[in-house]
Amino acid sequence: MSIAERMMNVDRRILYMILAVVVSGALFIPVNIPATPDDSSAGVYVGLSEIPQDKVLLIQSDWTLSTRGENLGHFEALLRVVMGQNRKFVLYSLADPQAPQVARDALRVLNAERKDRGLEPYILGQDYLDLGFFPNAENTAQAMGSNLRNLWANRKTKSPNGEIDIWQSPVLQGVSKIEDIGALVVVTASNTIDIAIQRLSDKVTIICMCTGVTGPTVLPYFSTGQLKGLAIGLKGVYDMELLMTYGMNDPASGENKITNPKYGVAPKLENSNTYGRGRQYYGALHGALALIILAIVLGNVAMLTAKKAEAA
Amino acid sequence: MDYAFLKVTAGAIATFALYSILFKENSFYRFFEHVFLGLAAGYSMVAIWQDTLYENWWLKMFGQPATATATEVAGYWPYALLVPIGLMGYFVFSKKNNWMSRIPIGILLGLWSGQQITNWWRTFGPQILGSMKPIIPNDFSRFTVPAQSVRDASGALTPLPPDQLEIIQNTVYPSVAISNVVFLVTLLSAMSYFIFSYEVKGKFMTGLNTVGRWMLMMGFGAIFGNTVMARFALVIDRMAYVFIEWGQQNLLRVLGGG
Repeated sequence: MSIAERMMNVDRRILYMILAVVVSGALFIPVNIPATPDDSSAGVYVGLSEIPQDKVLLIQSDWTLSTRGENLGHFEALLRVVMGQNRKFVLYSLADPQAPQVARDALRVLNAERKDRGLEPYILGQDYLDLGFFPNAENTAQAMGSNLRNLWANRKTKSPNGEIDIWQSPVLQGVSKIEDIGALVVVTASNTIDIAIQRLSDKVTIICMCTGVTGPTVLPYFSTGQLKGLAIGLKGVYDMELLMTYGMNDPASGENKITNPKYGVAPKLENSNTYGRGRQYYGALHGALALIILAIVLGNVAMLTAKKAEAA
Repeated sequence: MDYAFLKVTAGAIATFALYSILFKENSFYRFFEHVFLGLAAGYSMVAIWQDTLYENWWLKMFGQPATATATEVAGYWPYALLVPIGLMGYFVFSKKNNWMSRIPIGILLGLWSGQQITNWWRTFGPQILGSMKPIIPNDFSRFTVPAQSVRDASGALTPLPPDQLEIIQNTVYPSVAISNVVFLVTLLSAMSYFIFSYEVKGKFMTGLNTVGRWMLMMGFGAIFGNTVMARFALVIDRMAYVFIEWGQQNLLRVLGGG
């Protein structure tokens, strides 16, 4: 068997092993890969920074562990921005009954991070609300747009003062309808962003953080202004971390300043971890992509060589 | 060994088990596949009751007594009527009475259909409006769009003042017009590919159709590339879980007596 034929018949398990070694090795060497944040990712960071401080955010967490590689990075970056800016938020899910728990686990880790930095952790009922899972995303979103008070009527939450009605909580002060919300941020791995656009886009600012698979179908919403910002896949996570580190058009970042004439000034995030899974995974992603390109090139060269040898 | 270590270790074992299918079909993989399915189904049932039915239906139906921090909430008995309507859905399994299952399905379809007109417009209206792009330049003084940032004294880029930016962004330079023409050709050719109502004849229409097919293929290629990156992200996360969260942060800690 010639070298070319051997190359075309490499056991797939060897390729998997090489991939695992390349990816694992790169994970232990986090690198700052030069990158310019996409307009869409910048829209997320700037959009969040522009929301008035007294407005509450709705965070629709529609992801589970099956897309943890991308969505956990999104969710952590989002909460670091939100908590770093001391904003109140309401957490709920429309896509999967497992989604609230993975969001709670991530929030617990970020609260521990705040404690380590000497900051007050976010407290349920006082700084945020956790409303759990709502089935039937279409009708729930429709009801949110029609009558938010009625949809969430009589719901209770734990708080430092015992169990209270969520409408008595400081989180929902000044809110009676969806238009009173600062922004709806959808972290999703599915089509729940379409549902939000269809039912709520004319009532509230919508920001989306989605997986690479759904990204291309969601991108037109950003181009037309239906979405204020859109972070797609691992690149979106890395972009958010760069923006948290250097801000947007922020003079305080000096020569590292990230500039984009489409946006105003959004200051960098102080007193918070800014790098996380984006920086940790981005090098590994490049390693994996380099490997697949190399495998495609080698496979084609081997095929052409074998064909040539066969013809001769 | 603490609970945190056991939890992360269980996750690592499950990861090894599920990836073992890459080596070959085996019962270790099958066992964990069934564990996963059972857990997901069981967890979902509990979560649906706890997060959804209890809060949104049970408490609203029976009301809630007054507490030290909350006033009494009266129950609303018509919520009980949802039970027989919901149960009718299960008659889909009955050959004789499956007509009953069409009642809840009809209600859901009616609700869904009623929302579609406004939904369609909110989805596609802005996209149709966004597709109306100028293709004739209104400024021939230069070919490309001028720089929208300048270097300040420190050497860093700074955006131009907003009034100057607005002028630039509202001007159709020849390069912008060309981009818009490319956009328009892509839009029309891709749409022409989906004309099935009559036979596509003639050089122009078949040519447009072919261009549309090429554009669609390029679009699918970009989507596939994104999908590959997304799948890699999942592998990377699993490797990070096994080697960093389990190995480095937990296993080494336990082995070191931490």
